[in-house]
Amino acid sequence: MWKTSKLFFWALAALLVLWQIPSCYNFFAVKPADAPFTLYSPVIGDFAMLRFDEEKRMRYTDASGREYTKEQFDSILPAFYCRQLVADGRFPDSICGRAVTLRQIQKANFNLRLSPSNLNAPQVGLQQLLESMSGRVDLTLPDDVFRITDTGIEFVRMETNQIDEEKSARFTEAMKRKGFHFPACRISGNPTARKEYDEGYVMLDAARRLFHVKQTVGRPYVRAIELPEGLVPEYLFITEFPSRRWLCFLTDTGGGFWVVERDSYAVVRTELPSFDPREESMLIFGNLFDWTVKVDRGGEKCFYALSAEDYTLLDSLTIPTPDRSWRGLRFTSPKDKFVKPRF
Amino acid sequence: MIKAIFYKEWIKTGGYGLLALLLSTGFAGYAMLRMARVCSLKGADHLWIVMLQRDAIFVDLLQFVPLFIGLGLAVVQFAPEMYRKSFKLTLHLPLRADRAVAAMLAYGVATLAAVFLPALAAMGGYLQSILAPELWQHILWSTLPWYLAGIAAYLLTAWIALEPTWGRRLIDGAMALLLLRLYFLAPAPEAYNGFLPLLTAVTLCYGLLAMLSLTRFRDGRQD
Repeated sequence: MWKTSKLFFWALAALLVLWQIPSCYNFFAVKPADAPFTLYSPVIGDFAMLRFDEEKRMRYTDASGREYTKEQFDSILPAFYCRQLVADGRFPDSICGRAVTLRQIQKANFNLRLSPSNLNAPQVGLQQLLESMSGRVDLTLPDDVFRITDTGIEFVRMETNQIDEEKSARFTEAMKRKGFHFPACRISGNPTARKEYDEGYVMLDAARRLFHVKQTVGRPYVRAIELPEGLVPEYLFITEFPSRRWLCFLTDTGGGFWVVERDSYAVVRTELPSFDPREESMLIFGNLFDWTVKVDRGGEKCFYALSAEDYTLLDSLTIPTPDRSWRGLRFTSPKDKFVKPRF
Repeated sequence: MIKAIFYKEWIKTGGYGLLALLLSTGFAGYAMLRMARVCSLKGADHLWIVMLQRDAIFVDLLQFVPLFIGLGLAVVQFAPEMYRKSFKLTLHLPLRADRAVAAMLAYGVATLAAVFLPALAAMGGYLQSILAPELWQHILWSTLPWYLAGIAAYLLTAWIALEPTWGRRLIDGAMALLLLRLYFLAPAPEAYNGFLPLLTAVTLCYGLLAMLSLTRFRDGRQD
């Protein structure tokens, strides 16, 4: 017993050293390296960067090192700084030969942050399905939630904690009629009333086929989305951007990044190089002309400029951000919301 | 003999055990009352929505209650004996010293289980009536590391209390603090689910540490 106790004591001591020493060193001595704020400029056809120099002064440059004034910087990123340009009376009639209005620019602007910690997290398994066509300007939250079971979709009334058998049967029937195989293996929605419109959910069924499910005037709207040959979707991200151009983004099992157009349900592959949403975070700033996509790959930040028209790759830039932290025993990670030992 | 040790421990800690039971169920009951008040004011659906959209679990005030209950039990059980130096008498019983200490610790862990389980059962019982299984299980799973921390606090405090020298007590105390931090790292509810089996096994093994203190005590180490 004594030997076992001694062994256990030293094992615990070693565990604490492996956990606490690197953790203290990283906290006090390591400054996290980050890339400058970078956006693709359609005006100069290059990445524009905003960074701080050694004297903590803001510097505005492009990827080739050319310096800009603050006002010039606003002008080369007209979509991002559109309100500033309007306030200064400098908003252009056209950008890159295309006539634009402030409303057009603002409607097309979007940003999307995809973080692995949102995927690698405990899930409750209950969702809210809003009414997409209530006839009112503002959306309202429903008085029920739903869960996807092995045999169907089940709506539970929150006030009474009772299953709404009639509604559950109606939606299950509609989904099965469209060929949905229960249970769903992925589901993505944005159940909040603080948005302009509601597109319900996109779901992958048990056979990894893509479906769009929403509630319109209390009735189920279910649409099976045809996928290109060979595409096996992995993760779904509903968009609901003001432009209403896309239904969702998705990644495939090979790391490809695809968009699903809202009106035509066309599924189009972007020229974005491989992206793994379980390991890498992504930040997209999109506008009428292009998307700037930042992918955090751990030791480097990769920036990609995609054409907003056909999603072709316009330019790319990699900024190394070496991780100088000590590797030890950790129990939490920025990549997930679980507590578990990991080296 | 083991029965006699259990009886001795009951005489020492029975009063504290009842108080701990009151505290544990009282805090759990208060948390449930607050939820019932939200239900009566804003409706049960408000509770559901806040849980789903903000990842709230409404029982955060219970977080450190088991920890302090466990710590208190160890102090009540071991500190007076160590202070009055009557712990030596236990070592002269016709029973191996390590078995005697193991029986004392087992009594403590069983007492804590008896204190914590009614609180969990009361919460489960009430929550089932107003929440879907996914939600009430979400709440109970999220509280389990806190209750485990209560058992860890008990076993680690027993380790420190049985230690005969103050210098070593400080080192053990620092280690115990770091080990207890492990139960409160949760960035989200249910974050410990996958780690709970291993954490439970390690927590129960903290009982082995008391044997180190016992050996040092028997070896006559003192300040």
